[in-house]
Amino acid sequence: MSDEIKITPVNRGKRPAFFDDPAIDQLMAIVMAMSAEMSVLYDRVDTIERLLDKKGTLSRDDIEAFRPDQGVEDERNGRRNDYISRLFRIIREERETLVAHDKMDEYNALMDELAKS
Amino acid sequence: MAPQAPHDLLIEPTHDEFALQSYVSALRMFTLQEIGGGLRGVYESRVKPSFEQERGRAPTDEHEVRHAMMADPYCRTWSSMMRSAQEMIWDSIIPSIERAQPDLNSRAASLAQKPKGSMTLDPDVEVPRYVSASDIHLMPGNYYSERDAGDVSQGALYDRGVYVYAGGHGGPYGDSIGRSLAQHLKIRFPDFQPERVLDIGCTVGHNILPFVDVYPDAEVHAIDVSVPVLRYAHGRAESFGKPMHLHQMNGENMSFEDESFDLVMSVVTFHETSRTAMKNILAECRRVLKPGGLMIHMELPRTADMDPFDAFYIDWDSYYNNEPFYQAFTSTDLKAAYVDAGFKEENYMEVMTPDIYAVPEDTFEAAASGPENKAERYGRLGESIHWTGWGAWKEG
Ligand SMILES: C[S@@+](CC[C@H](N)C(=O)[O-])C[C@H]1O[C@@H](n2cnc3c(N)ncnc32)[C@H](O)[C@@H]1O
Repeated sequence: MSDEIKITPVNRGKRPAFFDDPAIDQLMAIVMAMSAEMSVLYDRVDTIERLLDKKGTLSRDDIEAFRPDQGVEDERNGRRNDYISRLFRIIREERETLVAHDKMDEYNALMDELAKS
Repeated sequence: MAPQAPHDLLIEPTHDEFALQSYVSALRMFTLQEIGGGLRGVYESRVKPSFEQERGRAPTDEHEVRHAMMADPYCRTWSSMMRSAQEMIWDSIIPSIERAQPDLNSRAASLAQKPKGSMTLDPDVEVPRYVSASDIHLMPGNYYSERDAGDVSQGALYDRGVYVYAGGHGGPYGDSIGRSLAQHLKIRFPDFQPERVLDIGCTVGHNILPFVDVYPDAEVHAIDVSVPVLRYAHGRAESFGKPMHLHQMNGENMSFEDESFDLVMSVVTFHETSRTAMKNILAECRRVLKPGGLMIHMELPRTADMDPFDAFYIDWDSYYNNEPFYQAFTSTDLKAAYVDAGFKEENYMEVMTPDIYAVPEDTFEAAASGPENKAERYGRLGESIHWTGWGAWKEG
């Protein structure tokens, strides 16, 4: 179609590299995008289950037409947040050990002592 | 995500598009709050101490903090995630716009057929370089790209984009700043009844539209340099049945008559303009204001009185989110700039208001009528969201 409108999904301006190896930035972007695809899939499965619960049968149109009401969306959002939290656990963990970094000093001191003895 | 208030230009996302947008919104919020919330701890517990060890003193400004922080792995990870999340917002919306076209453009054209308001385009107005130089906040195509006569795509991208960005916290109309401001002014200055209101850099009109509700007798005008967003703003306002007069005009050089507005305002426009442009816009604001009129600009907080870490955090967008003028703006002394533009120092005023959607009515009213309207705290920093504005009355 000649009157199709296309929006090129890139923006003008140099993309900063945050890590010394830009491949790490690329990997981070890929992981984030992949996490999104999985969440979309989960919502779709959830839609299918809800439709089956209600009607015992479904069509593709039923799935496409399904819109979560606020209750369903809140439930999904809770699930999304738990999911994100599990996925990025390694980063959350770093934050939590920072808060407890006094305790880590104690722990490391203990380990040093044990290593000496 | 709660649903956005429907209007005739709002694109209904498919099942999966909605799922994607909701997720991207949650992912961005998680990155901002849960991961970003650890940055201060990283700074205090290891970045600052090692800076001190090396230099024998603490970092003195945001640039030193930035250089040190951006070498830290935690801050790098957070930054990389923030950058991707921002890109993913736009990516989650673009396919729905392509699908809705070219019908979307026709709908905008037919909404403009029997308008309650108006739209005046002026092809002589050019998009200034500070807008066109980069795709601001990474929005592909910026505010002004047109792929077709009558194209409104960029308006659609912005309308949905800021909604996903804010996770719907700007309210169903995305008007939390404008509605908070309008209601705040009404309570705080009950005798101030503007007859003509002007918004500079209105984009799709999110934050000017509430003025039509709060001051129903006022004639509301709004300008922008970018045509696709103006067309979209026009259709959106008409679809809501709210009279609004839109103009393709540059705030640095407006064709309105002298002393023709009671209230001249903007919402987050200044941080996307150059210093020179801001100076020119201030002079124009003063020119078009009636004696006794009010100029007010809702904006990002000033970094001058902040600790260098907070300033680094606020200005991160300037370096990594295509907001080239952010940092220049947050470090500008607005009171001095207003005085330079001719306003009297004693007529300078500030607004600090809680978000109208986030607090009970009596809390909002108490804040508006209370004496402490100082623009000190701000949404991204404070525990609760506060919107800040800087203004001046014109003597007379
Ligand atoms: C961040 S947006 C403002 C958002 C809008 N006020 C709202 O509340 O939703 C900045 C807008 O200012 C416009 N702009 C930038 N410089 C301008 C100028 N000199 N005159 C008029 N509009 C301008 C841009 O085209 C863009 O639409």
